[in-house]
Amino acid sequence: MLNFRLKKRIEDFALDVELSVNEELMVLFGPSGAGKTQILRMLSGIIKPDEGNIAIGAEPLFDSKANINVPIRQRQIGYVFQDYALFPHMTVFENIAYGINLKEPLLTQKVNELLGVMRLNGLEQRYPHELSGGQKQRTALARTLAAEPRLLLLDEPFSALDYQVREKLRADLLNIHRMFPITTILVTHDLEEAFMLGKRIAVINNGRIEQVGTREDVFYRPRTRNVARFIGVRNIFAGTVAGVDTEQVIINNPDIGTVKAFIPQGAALNIGQEVSFCIRPEEIIVIRPDKVLDNKKQDNILEGEIDSSIGKGSTHIMFLRVGEGDTLLKIELPNFVLRKLGLANGKRIRVSLKKENIWVIP
Amino acid sequence: MDLFPLYLTIKVSFIATIFTAISGFVLAWVMAKKEFFGKNFLDVLVMQPLVIPPTVLGYYLLSVFGKSSPLGAFLENNLGIEIVFTWKGAVMASIISSLPLFVKPARAALEGVGADLENAARLLGKTEFQIIRSITLPLAWRGLAAGAVMAFARATGEFGATLMIAGNIPGVTQTLPIAIYDAVQSGDDYTANILVGIITLFSFAVLYFAGRFARGRF
Repeated sequence: MLNFRLKKRIEDFALDVELSVNEELMVLFGPSGAGKTQILRMLSGIIKPDEGNIAIGAEPLFDSKANINVPIRQRQIGYVFQDYALFPHMTVFENIAYGINLKEPLLTQKVNELLGVMRLNGLEQRYPHELSGGQKQRTALARTLAAEPRLLLLDEPFSALDYQVREKLRADLLNIHRMFPITTILVTHDLEEAFMLGKRIAVINNGRIEQVGTREDVFYRPRTRNVARFIGVRNIFAGTVAGVDTEQVIINNPDIGTVKAFIPQGAALNIGQEVSFCIRPEEIIVIRPDKVLDNKKQDNILEGEIDSSIGKGSTHIMFLRVGEGDTLLKIELPNFVLRKLGLANGKRIRVSLKKENIWVIP
Repeated sequence: MDLFPLYLTIKVSFIATIFTAISGFVLAWVMAKKEFFGKNFLDVLVMQPLVIPPTVLGYYLLSVFGKSSPLGAFLENNLGIEIVFTWKGAVMASIISSLPLFVKPARAALEGVGADLENAARLLGKTEFQIIRSITLPLAWRGLAAGAVMAFARATGEFGATLMIAGNIPGVTQTLPIAIYDAVQSGDDYTANILVGIITLFSFAVLYFAGRFARGRF
């Protein structure tokens, strides 16, 4: 169990975060410059926070009030740097063996074990400059795990790799985490990576934690507009509450019109309040042109003109102009749906925003 | 022909280079790795011998190590070490004037060893001393070796400061550059030519090998 509270001011950037991490893989997700790497550097002891505390279990590593600051080398924290920081004058074997305090033959045995786990067999006599990106990354991870850290910090571990290698190594990382179930913090600005790896995700923006929660919480129930933006919700609109009952809310937006949605748990909404509401592009349903609608059953039907569309692999992104203003609704559809419905720029269509797919941010 | 100046120059330069390398490494390491108050001032101070006239440098050394100075008196009375007008004075002059030539490339080489490589070693539980030995030195040794070669070369050519503090005593403190001056002054062109030839060849060789050292593998 890791608990920390960190405050640091670097020129006009102020970082202030507080977080608890169990024996799990926690993802720190946020845009570049949000302060994610700074958090890892403070946890490891490379930079000193201005104020705060860090503790693993009951053992304090840093406490500004009690004047505790455990030196880096005594923290037993593993850190995989973004550029791996492999020792260029040492072979793969020597890199991995560097942090192991064992005598031969146990040393070789342990290194060989890690070489096996990391699929590095046969590369032990190579130097870092003779390795591919993925091999370097696995060597760095092996070197870090060799020292048996109590906490593992991974700084954008896949950012320097090409797409296919990244996919494979993400799966590897999950396996390795099952084998070595230590508290792990992974920093990334990649949405897909955050979703794939993090059981729990902390969204960092501008030196603050905007939301911490399970991946489902963060992805489907963003608590702020920023979080909604970072997790790829492109349809975020402002509106005024026009009506509320125990579980539903009616929101007015000049372009979209009146939208009904469920009230998020724990939120108290009042008539006249300004709120945001959002819907993921892939959750907007296009209604077949010939379908007759029963107005009592169908809420949130919008009509608009297809403004433009972009192909994106197996799906298409369409922008639908609704209302009189500049409001564009982003819709993601599988290519076959697009073909079947004969959708093209300039065509008028109706879409449905299902109540359960709309998320309201007070 | 008297080869004592050649012998003395090699001895003085060799000893001076050892002292320069040790003190220069500490200075370069501190300046490359640490942030502290007065770092720029220290840098300016260490680089002074590059721009200050050698005679002025010699004069400073005389005032610091002379018998009338507290340090000079202490060294002579308590440790029996005489600096002024001995070969040790020549060593002292060579150390000070060659220090910047060692520190500059050494600092660049040490700065070239990325902070995160050393941090990685710290995170793996290593002490600062272990890190210098296993990471910093192996990665920076070419720059350090190039600096040492430059320092040695500078020491063999040291003239002004050496003349001020060690004097020109044939067979005692007369180094090669001073012997050349002496030979020219007394019209002994034969000796002057040979000594000049030796120094010239040596200087070419030094720069050639220093350049080869500096080209790293990593």
